[in-house]
Amino acid sequence: MENGYQEKVILVTGGSGLVGNGIKYAVENGEQRKGEKWIYATSKDGDLTDLESTRAMFAMFQPTHVIHLAAKVGGLFGNLKANLEFLRKNIIINDNVLRTAHENNVQHVVSCLSTCIFPDKTTYPINETMVHNGPPHDSNYGYSYAKRMIDIMNRGYNQEHGRNYTSVIPTNVFGPEDNFNLEEGHVLPGLIHKVYQAKKEGKPLTVWGTGKPLRQFIYSRDLGRLIVWVLREYKETEPIILSVGEEDETSIKEAAEKVAEAMDFKNGLIFDTTKSDGQYKKTADNAKLRRYLPDFKFTPIGEALKETCDWFVANYETARK
Amino acid sequence: MACTKKVILVTGGTGLVGQGIKSAAEQNPQPNEEFIFLSSKDADLTSREATKSIFEKHRPTHVIHLAAKVGGLYGNMRANLQFFRINMSINDNVLSVSQEYGVKKVVSCLSTCIFPDKTSYPIDETMIHNGAPHTSNYGYSYAKRMIDVLNKGYNQQHGTNYTAVVPTNVFGPHDNFNLEEGHVMPGLIHKVYKCKENNTPLTVWGTGSARRQFIYSLDLGRLFLWVLREYQETEPIILSVGEEDEISIKTAAELVAKGFDYEGEFVYDTTRSDGQYKKTASNSKLRKYLPEFKFTPIDEAIRATCQWFSEHYKEARV
Repeated sequence: MENGYQEKVILVTGGSGLVGNGIKYAVENGEQRKGEKWIYATSKDGDLTDLESTRAMFAMFQPTHVIHLAAKVGGLFGNLKANLEFLRKNIIINDNVLRTAHENNVQHVVSCLSTCIFPDKTTYPINETMVHNGPPHDSNYGYSYAKRMIDIMNRGYNQEHGRNYTSVIPTNVFGPEDNFNLEEGHVLPGLIHKVYQAKKEGKPLTVWGTGKPLRQFIYSRDLGRLIVWVLREYKETEPIILSVGEEDETSIKEAAEKVAEAMDFKNGLIFDTTKSDGQYKKTADNAKLRRYLPDFKFTPIGEALKETCDWFVANYETARK
Repeated sequence: MACTKKVILVTGGTGLVGQGIKSAAEQNPQPNEEFIFLSSKDADLTSREATKSIFEKHRPTHVIHLAAKVGGLYGNMRANLQFFRINMSINDNVLSVSQEYGVKKVVSCLSTCIFPDKTSYPIDETMIHNGAPHTSNYGYSYAKRMIDVLNKGYNQQHGTNYTAVVPTNVFGPHDNFNLEEGHVMPGLIHKVYKCKENNTPLTVWGTGSARRQFIYSLDLGRLFLWVLREYQETEPIILSVGEEDEISIKTAAELVAKGFDYEGEFVYDTTRSDGQYKKTASNSKLRKYLPEFKFTPIDEAIRATCQWFSEHYKEARV
């Protein structure tokens, strides 16, 4: 039962992370509607690996909608060592959240997948129908399979109970409140942190690889707006990729140059070509998104990086690194 | 070490496959092996506490994990979510409790029905995750596939030897002979039994030309014991007769008729679907390990099963 005057309570699990903060920013800067109460839960509010704790959280917050972002995540090396834990913990978290949502008659849950869960051997561009078409990359198969099973459960809840449980697939997200740790973090926060350090030390920035590989980056605040749209309007069970298009892929070199510009870094870039580039392109297709939202405007990447760098510099002491 | 006592817990031990293992173990006992065949009455494996209690009680050194929520085509189609969640829960409980209790070897049971729907034939062990399974039972299929993923995780993280087998169509005593829910061979057996009793012709659904690989539960039992004792890989192993021993549904029906000395007429209801013509699974991995393994000749196996059914009709699952 949804009408403009009935209070909606939207629970965002994993609400204090990169994506959660992107949603929060979007909500607080134009997306909030009358009668909506947004709750950004963190691990302090409950242990989602524990069913009773999950139930207590739902009893306390009484959500009508859920955006499920909470997960055990980690960088390449974290995953490599502990695929079993990543698999089991995430399966338990996801099962607890979905079943408790169902028990509480929550009609709409939007979960968060990732392009890293797609089949390792695949054609490009990848699209939403391809998620299960082969095994994921071996380095993080535990995390990947657990995320894939969200899609399976969404299907099951929809078929058996008529629930609108669905998921989104962002490409590389960046923004304020990211994990800027050089070991565990992803490429853009890593570059930002490295430039910060290189600037302090008066050194040039060393970028691993040739800088040629292309990636689709999505600003967390744009992602936030899109996830809010998915929550309100998207009715499909099948996931939806949330990303800039192929035409907006950015090379690592270009990303590094924009970060340097944003941070007024003048010591120069060095490309260590002895290091691996990884894959040249991993293009994800955003045609489905464009069919729904042909006019959606992403924040230009230079601007988004400037905002992120400014945030990092201003919040260096407390930033996760 | 041959002298170390093995306590082998068999979950789902009272079913078709469990009883096949039981017969095989009785035929070829090893003095240091003690088998415990569990049923759902002994423990609700969807409860972690109950699973722990049963492990605490028996302190197994090895586990053969057969227990699952299973159902026919219609049961699955209606309830994929349940089949997924209940089986995920059972499998996670059995494997995690096994690891907690220091069980070094767990042999779980997959199924050829979990393979990708769109695939080339023959299918082999490397192909399990290469695409989505058939939509009718995706819940069951993904839960079974996750056993293989968990096995890999446990072995990498804990140095265990958790693995799985993939049988093709199993048949034998103690099967589910229910005509709605059961599989093709027990279905034929039940039908011929009734046709003989009522002196009516046998209706076989389809043209009878579809071909299948059948494995007798006693042979499967013998192979399970070999896997338990000798097979060290994490990757699953298909347990089946070879392609050369595929038989048509028509041949299967004829052998069942012989098994009951039924001489009535066969009617082929060609308005019914044949299903897939062939679904050949490759048994070359098994043959690399056991080139000399002799399967029970199919006519003998079918006859023995028909005899069992006649003798146990009252208690059989019909």
